[in-house]
Amino acid sequence: MIEAVNLTKSFKSGVAVDHINFYIEPGEIVGMLGPNGAGKSTTIAMLSTLIPPTEGDVLLHQKSVLKDQNLLRKVLGVVPQEIALYGDLTAKENLFFFGNLYKIPKKQLNERVEIVLEQIGLENETKKLVKHYSGGMKRRLNIGVALLHEPQYLIMDEPTVGIDPQSRNHILETVKKLNEQSNTAIIYTSHYMEEVEYLCNRIYIMDQGRIIASGSKDEIKAILSSENTVVVKVNNNSNAFMNELFNQPILTNIKADEDKINFTIAKGVNFLPNLLSLCERHNVLLKSFQMEEPTLEDVFLHLTGRALRN
Amino acid sequence: MFLALIQKQIKLLLRSPSELLILLAMPIGLILILSFALGSIMNGDLEITNVEIALVQHGNEEEEIEAFFQKANDTFPIADELRGQIAGMVPVKLLEEQIMENDELKEFVHITKVNEKDIERTRNNGEFSAIIEIPENFTYDFLTYQFLNGEKPSFSVYLNESKQINSTIVQTLINDFQHQYTLNKVLNENGLLLEGMIVPSPEITSTINTIQSKGEITSKIYYTFSMAVMFILFTAGTIASQAFLEKDSHIFDRMILARIRPITYLFSIIISTVIFAMVQMLILFTFSYFAFNITFNQLGLYLLLTFFLAIVVGGIAAVLSSLNYRNNSASASNVFSNAFVSIFALLGGSFFNISSIAPGMAKIGLLTPNGAALDGYLKLTQQASFSDLLPNLTNLSILMIILIVLAFLLFPKRGGIA
Repeated sequence: MIEAVNLTKSFKSGVAVDHINFYIEPGEIVGMLGPNGAGKSTTIAMLSTLIPPTEGDVLLHQKSVLKDQNLLRKVLGVVPQEIALYGDLTAKENLFFFGNLYKIPKKQLNERVEIVLEQIGLENETKKLVKHYSGGMKRRLNIGVALLHEPQYLIMDEPTVGIDPQSRNHILETVKKLNEQSNTAIIYTSHYMEEVEYLCNRIYIMDQGRIIASGSKDEIKAILSSENTVVVKVNNNSNAFMNELFNQPILTNIKADEDKINFTIAKGVNFLPNLLSLCERHNVLLKSFQMEEPTLEDVFLHLTGRALRN
Repeated sequence: MFLALIQKQIKLLLRSPSELLILLAMPIGLILILSFALGSIMNGDLEITNVEIALVQHGNEEEEIEAFFQKANDTFPIADELRGQIAGMVPVKLLEEQIMENDELKEFVHITKVNEKDIERTRNNGEFSAIIEIPENFTYDFLTYQFLNGEKPSFSVYLNESKQINSTIVQTLINDFQHQYTLNKVLNENGLLLEGMIVPSPEITSTINTIQSKGEITSKIYYTFSMAVMFILFTAGTIASQAFLEKDSHIFDRMILARIRPITYLFSIIISTVIFAMVQMLILFTFSYFAFNITFNQLGLYLLLTFFLAIVVGGIAAVLSSLNYRNNSASASNVFSNAFVSIFALLGGSFFNISSIAPGMAKIGLLTPNGAALDGYLKLTQQASFSDLLPNLTNLSILMIILIVLAFLLFPKRGGIA
């Protein structure tokens, strides 16, 4: 098990990570959710021993790795958010290069390179220079490099940023398979709620350097168990209508996107008659009224007052 | 693992056409252009304008000769034949004959006798390449020194620094003239002069012959080596920039996670640079061998000098990489490639032979890696031995030690990851 205990990182510009506690058990997929600047990447850098914490400790099987980082590095693979590859080398050359750095014996490395290329779906694209790959292919190879030495723990820092849906699905499936077939424990950071919801058993939500919620998906959603999310669609929306909506004391987390309005409301409260009269007064046409179970997005909005991808 | 780091570096360089253009194609192009453009100057085909020498003689030469004969008569009898020879050995006459009897010299070297009253004006107007000032009693002292063991006399020579080539010619003439004194003195001391031996007339060509026998430095030779030692410096900047890209793109993070120690990484930069720099020099020298017929007679010494230079370049690459990692930008390698290489090239004599213009700067140039190596290569073209090369190798060794120690001290402990 990897644990972070009161992990803190301060820079001259301020505190990036503020006394966070975190753990991951073998075989788990743990999600780390948060908007840009939440402190996810700094946390990942400390967890992977790349930067020392200002305070706190990182433990592997209850043993600190701050003095002997190699303890953790041996069993850890890291997929950085950036494409950490040589563009002027082919996929195979990149894999062989990093495999050699891990001192994988030659015969074993040959096998591992073939397996990894198959895992990431690039077995037919090995002769192209990486700089000629699409964004999705580069991301897949970026993951492949981290898998060469068969790590027990894998940290993936926003591995699907900026790629097409097809490559994104491929990556998600790869992660899922990796966890199921090799029992690799994965820390998956993202600001895509649906990816975390799809992959992870447990979730940490980070904002402004702190963990503001953690637990299983259901536990997190239970934060909003006393509330329902309502999605309303209208025509002829107006400022006056929205102002009056914002002034309704029983509504929280109101978010408007053109004619689509989301808000949360306590369970059991029937707001529909009030809404109809409000629409009538402002000459707004109500097209639909839908009550939903809260999503992680709603939880995030509830906890931080901000949308995840703002 | 270490081999993988080096292989990767070499592959990346070989796959970078723009870098190869700078490191290989540009020096070849410049060697060709400069060799032909500046060939006439370097090969001595430059037209030399007239060398005007002003001669200022104080005192009366004839009276001084007579005074000497009177003094000498007390010591030994002087036959008429010897009297005639001695009268022909007076310094001003010797100098004039030295020039007038040489067909090549008399075409462009002219001596003008200037009145002693006009000496200040002559110094100031700058029309002469040199002014030779013979003091009063010089002829008497000169003959006394030659035949009666008197004090060694001296005269003054003022060289016009704005007429560098002409001044050098005058300097050579004076050196020969002084050589002639010494020869006469030795002949006299051994009794040879008194036995009626004809005093040999000065031969200016003797010095030129000596230089030519060592091997002439043509513009092709000069610019092959001067461009090679200049462009080898760009290798350091290029590799340091590539090293920074590894940090910037987080590849270095991956190396750290693969348990590669920063010291190993830095060492791989030095070794890759040394290998690439050696290959670069071999390509440039091979080009000159085939294109210009430049021979490398002492191949072992050429390789040794190149190896030392390559290690220094490796050291520079390491220092620049350390600075780039420390500053978290490629500014150190950029500033080096864009500014320092040119300064080093100027001081080290890559653009022109700086020693003929500013000897003081040339001495500083010998402290630069390219300057020390260029001087060494030029010595080798003139059949220098290992011991002749030692000062250059020593300079390079000192530089390599300083640079490598500095690089390891400067490299951030964790590579400056933040």
